[in-house]
Amino acid sequence: MNLRHLKKLRIIVSLVVFAFILLLFIDFSTPFIDSVSNFFIRLQLFPSILRFFALFFTISGLGFLLIILISLFFGRVYCSSLCPLGTLQDIIIAISKRLKPKKKKRFTYSRFSNRILRYGILTVTILFWVLGSLFLINLLDPFSNFGKISVTFFQPLIYWINNSINIVLENFGIYSLRPLDFKSLPLNVVLVSTVIFLVIAILSVWRGRLFCNTLCPAGAALGLISETSLFKIAFNEKACSGCMKCEHVCKAQCLDSKNQFIDQGRCVSCFNCFTACPNNGFYYKYRFAGKNNFTDPSDNHGKNRRNFLISLASATLAIPIVSSNKLLAQSAGAGSIPTGTSYPVTPPGSLSHNHFTSKCIACYLCVGVCPTNVIVPSFFDYGLEGFMQPKLDYHKNFCNFDCVKCTEVCPTGAITKLSKKEKATTQIGIAKFMPESCIVVVQGTDCGACAEHCPTQALQMIPYNDIFLPEVTPELCVGCGACEYACPTEPYKAIFVESNYKHKEALPIEEANGPREHDEDEFPF
Amino acid sequence: MDRRDFLKKGFLYSLSGSLITTASGFFSNVFGKGNSLPDLVAVRGSDPVTMYKRGIDEIGGMSRFVKRGQTVVVKPNIGWDVPPERAANTNPHLVKAIIESCYEAGARRVYCFDNTCDNWRRSYKNSGIEDAVNDANGQMVPGNQERYYHDVDIPGTKKLKNVKVHELLMESDLYINVPVLKHHGSTTLTIAMKNLMGVVWDRRFYHRNDLHQCIADFCLFERKPKLNIVDAYLVMTKNGPRGTSTSDLTRMKSLLISPDIVAIDSASARLFGADPNNIGHMRIAEKLGIGSLDLSKRNIERVYL
Repeated sequence: MNLRHLKKLRIIVSLVVFAFILLLFIDFSTPFIDSVSNFFIRLQLFPSILRFFALFFTISGLGFLLIILISLFFGRVYCSSLCPLGTLQDIIIAISKRLKPKKKKRFTYSRFSNRILRYGILTVTILFWVLGSLFLINLLDPFSNFGKISVTFFQPLIYWINNSINIVLENFGIYSLRPLDFKSLPLNVVLVSTVIFLVIAILSVWRGRLFCNTLCPAGAALGLISETSLFKIAFNEKACSGCMKCEHVCKAQCLDSKNQFIDQGRCVSCFNCFTACPNNGFYYKYRFAGKNNFTDPSDNHGKNRRNFLISLASATLAIPIVSSNKLLAQSAGAGSIPTGTSYPVTPPGSLSHNHFTSKCIACYLCVGVCPTNVIVPSFFDYGLEGFMQPKLDYHKNFCNFDCVKCTEVCPTGAITKLSKKEKATTQIGIAKFMPESCIVVVQGTDCGACAEHCPTQALQMIPYNDIFLPEVTPELCVGCGACEYACPTEPYKAIFVESNYKHKEALPIEEANGPREHDEDEFPF
Repeated sequence: MDRRDFLKKGFLYSLSGSLITTASGFFSNVFGKGNSLPDLVAVRGSDPVTMYKRGIDEIGGMSRFVKRGQTVVVKPNIGWDVPPERAANTNPHLVKAIIESCYEAGARRVYCFDNTCDNWRRSYKNSGIEDAVNDANGQMVPGNQERYYHDVDIPGTKKLKNVKVHELLMESDLYINVPVLKHHGSTTLTIAMKNLMGVVWDRRFYHRNDLHQCIADFCLFERKPKLNIVDAYLVMTKNGPRGTSTSDLTRMKSLLISPDIVAIDSASARLFGADPNNIGHMRIAEKLGIGSLDLSKRNIERVYL
């Protein structure tokens, strides 16, 4: 096989993966797109690892093993082909190259390998995670960030284009496009997404895949593996004419053409050098093949390990800070009685606050696909350990009784899959009625907006003077929030859903026996 | 022409159109055989489509209401994301048959929408109504965004002084109200008058400001349904308006047609087994002079199939 084609292959694969994952995030849903996208999402490093443990060693969470295996053989193929944020950076790099003056288009080898920084961040990230906080994964993981950027920028952009065209068409009586409702994103979340997007864009325009080799914990983890991968990209000394074309196309800035050295830990396997070399001077070299042109200095390994140990030690110092925060967050919840406002409502299938907050990487896929837009990102609502994780906001909308969309897409298993039947008895919270602020009691007029919307009849209207007053049967309530959303009182609702810290089971709806036959033949008028 | 102009002109055109049609209806009533036509037709004993076809013939055919070249809005109840067999929404086959007969009467275009309670996409789809409308070459129109709704004043009302109404209701020549007869937790029943809550934007205003009064108030709005068709084939007799299962239903195999919204609500209430005088918005509507709940003096055609 001519290895020059590897770059083309990488570009095609990465664009296909990128396109499908993006389509899922902007909620362009068909069964085909959903199944392909879901397959690619299983191949994302941290989401896959989290899924593996969240769903008790599920096969669908084994994607990370494949990634590790590929990395053990061929290096960080994941970073250039499967990671959507990597492809996004490549797209930004490609665009910026067209705009830059000729000289600045070139990359040059960077001696500074960022090892302490990147392994340090990886270590601290893992330590946070072990201690129960996904704070750093939520902030740094590439898939999570790609999701945040998609939901904050790409989805609204597509929706805006769609709605603008739609308005024009509607004036001509054409209703074939449907108007789409924008997700409501809190300002602070938009701000964080913007900063993340800007940082990534600036870093990539400035120095290629710098984000991947400094801040990205997935890149660091795979880099660590790749340093000892079985096959490595290597120089053919005889072929090199010293033209430096390879070095100038190296986005990771890990290729030193003068010394014919490639920093394997930083190489993202983009294969640009294969194509750039006019003499086909690059090849994959078996790690244990002869020592003649193996360019990685042997002391480098020892250095890596030392760096890793140093960062491990420095990260250990961070433990007290993290754990004390964790304790603080817990004691605030343990003693107090939870109400709708003290804990956010977590999506159906998320089992409990602990399960959800310890598995969700805030990628906002559930936010992007929710048809009612009831799932919205939060900021510090879950405390430090659940930074930016989504919640259900019943002032925005309510959870559709027959919809299980979010449970089907969650990549990490933070939201476990539910069938419609299972969801119908999953109680994520319980409605609490406040008669003293209800229209019926205060104004003495009929209302019943809450009971009208209740899908399980957990809310029923009972006779009250000459009118009807709502009454809650908690055992039937699933906590969907339809009542809270529909309640017309302002500024506070007369009925609200109190979150279940641990999701419970509601009584099932009585079995359907079909319609009764009407026994009267004549009209009663 | 900007959007405002477009809407204004559309409104004027439709207003003049409706004036002509009301005038022509008046003349045909005076000089034609109009007097012998019933005020209300009640059909019983078959499937919704068969009952509708017989019923519309009895009341003078769709051409009595829809004239050649007119645009029509058919307004079913599509409030809920539930399948047709749960009868929380109007029967889709009935909606299809109504749209087809509008076209047969010469309608230029037939639109269909509802401001749904559950998510609109899912309700349109899972009620079966979107597919039924498409099959009949009708035009399904969204009702989910505020920009479709425009402020109108309703003089003579007690609570509902002004309200945002869907633009298609203003722009088209006439609209046909196609509710499904159901139990309702707070208004006891939801029939024709209550179904018109689906053409306005802010339902919460109704709930906040005396629900029954607002429902009746809206019937004073100048744009009134030209025809009301009540689907009472499967009737939700408890747990309404959404229902929880098919156990909530009774198969009444009935259908009612009338241009008179109060008369049809009164008759449907009786069919349900309730006294219309006990239902707030019906009582208020009678008081407002919109119509009479008393059916004894009305020309009612009862058909048993």
